[in-house]
Amino acid sequence: MSEVDVRRGLVGVSVLVLFVIHFVLHVGLSYGRGAPDLLTLGLLIAVRELSLHRAAILGLSTGLLEDALSALAFGANSIAMTLVAVAGGVTRDLFVGDSRFFLPAYVFVGKWIRDALHWIAMGQNVRQPFGEQVLVEGTIASLYVAAIALVLSRLLGAWGEA
Amino acid sequence: MPTFGNEPQVGGRARDIALTSVVVLVALGMPYLPPTTQERVSAALQVSALRPFLGVQALLGNAGARRIEVDVLQATVDSLSSAMSTHRAVAAENDALRSLLGLQERAGPAFQPAVVSRPGTPGSESTFIVSVGSGDGVRAGAPVISPQGMVGIIREVRTSNAIGIDWTHPDFRASAMLADGSAYGLVESRRGSFREEDRLVLNGVPYHEEVPSGQTVLTSGLGGIFPRGIPIGTVLGVAEEEGTWRKAYFLTPVAAPAGATHVLVLSAEVADDVNRLWPPDSVTGSDDRIDER
Repeated sequence: MSEVDVRRGLVGVSVLVLFVIHFVLHVGLSYGRGAPDLLTLGLLIAVRELSLHRAAILGLSTGLLEDALSALAFGANSIAMTLVAVAGGVTRDLFVGDSRFFLPAYVFVGKWIRDALHWIAMGQNVRQPFGEQVLVEGTIASLYVAAIALVLSRLLGAWGEA
Repeated sequence: MPTFGNEPQVGGRARDIALTSVVVLVALGMPYLPPTTQERVSAALQVSALRPFLGVQALLGNAGARRIEVDVLQATVDSLSSAMSTHRAVAAENDALRSLLGLQERAGPAFQPAVVSRPGTPGSESTFIVSVGSGDGVRAGAPVISPQGMVGIIREVRTSNAIGIDWTHPDFRASAMLADGSAYGLVESRRGSFREEDRLVLNGVPYHEEVPSGQTVLTSGLGGIFPRGIPIGTVLGVAEEEGTWRKAYFLTPVAAPAGATHVLVLSAEVADDVNRLWPPDSVTGSDDRIDER
């Protein structure tokens, strides 16, 4: 088994764990906004290891899972997650991301764009004002996930060096 | 001419982009699916991939609900009372559950007790899941009430659970009247700049009707969605006037949706007026509880 295969396997397991923890916190324990958006974090990590169309399929699948629990605007999460997954997949060709701050910055921007796309896709009747939902709540939620990404990258970096 | 190494990747790249475009188009088409198809997709995911997580939520909800069992309450009420006096949150929850028990006794079998849980995912604001479904006789459009009054309405029903919206949802509407029957109107949610500014408004009141502050507003029963007599709120003050023919009034809601963990859901036809379920002073009392929260 090559080093690339091992790396992809580890990333796959990590992403799966992030997805499970996300739904345990958000759905199982109903923590809501108190819990970080680990689904987007996992998606942004996974899409850098996948081909573009697989990234899009993963984005659509994760978006559908969130839409299944949304009676307000079915499809908004699917659109946001798919487009973010495609954009994340494209960045793989643009940024190598050697810096230790790359992952947190990448996750911050990705999460913020995901929230902005979700706001656009929700429709006028349902969404809250842009300033509140995207500029304030979206930025705070993006910082929250970026902080988790920073911790994760440090842990994985330390583990990789050991 | 030798074949270059990247030539096969060019075809692969084109295929990759084509497949990606298809997936993106499918995603963009999701909001335009017929509502029945959307519900089927949601239901399929809820009973498959999301089932373990909803199961955990139901387990936790049921664990909370068991606390309302009468025998347990009867046996432990004395010792709990002293313990709860130092635990404000637990005491408040117990108070709510006992109120619900009292309401359920008055309401009879037409109302099903249910545990409320909130998905907590993006886009699920103002919605909740109740632990009763079509198997318990619940139907879409059934009102959801708490010991204080109106909480919301059921939108989608599954076999064992149902999804509802509370009064903060922009689609919430209820035909309403003043408690003395002197004026009728339509209660609706009005979004503020922030969620904390969301207000209930009694709209469509004739301009020359005098509506004093503090008047209780009940469902009127017009339209056949809600039974007559469910408390919605109390009049706070004039919200807006349109010309000289219409006024709207801000209401102080009697029930705080975020605090409603245990509710009753209508599962059968009831008599026209259900106002007898709420003692005369319950609306005023509930205001205090909302303020405390």
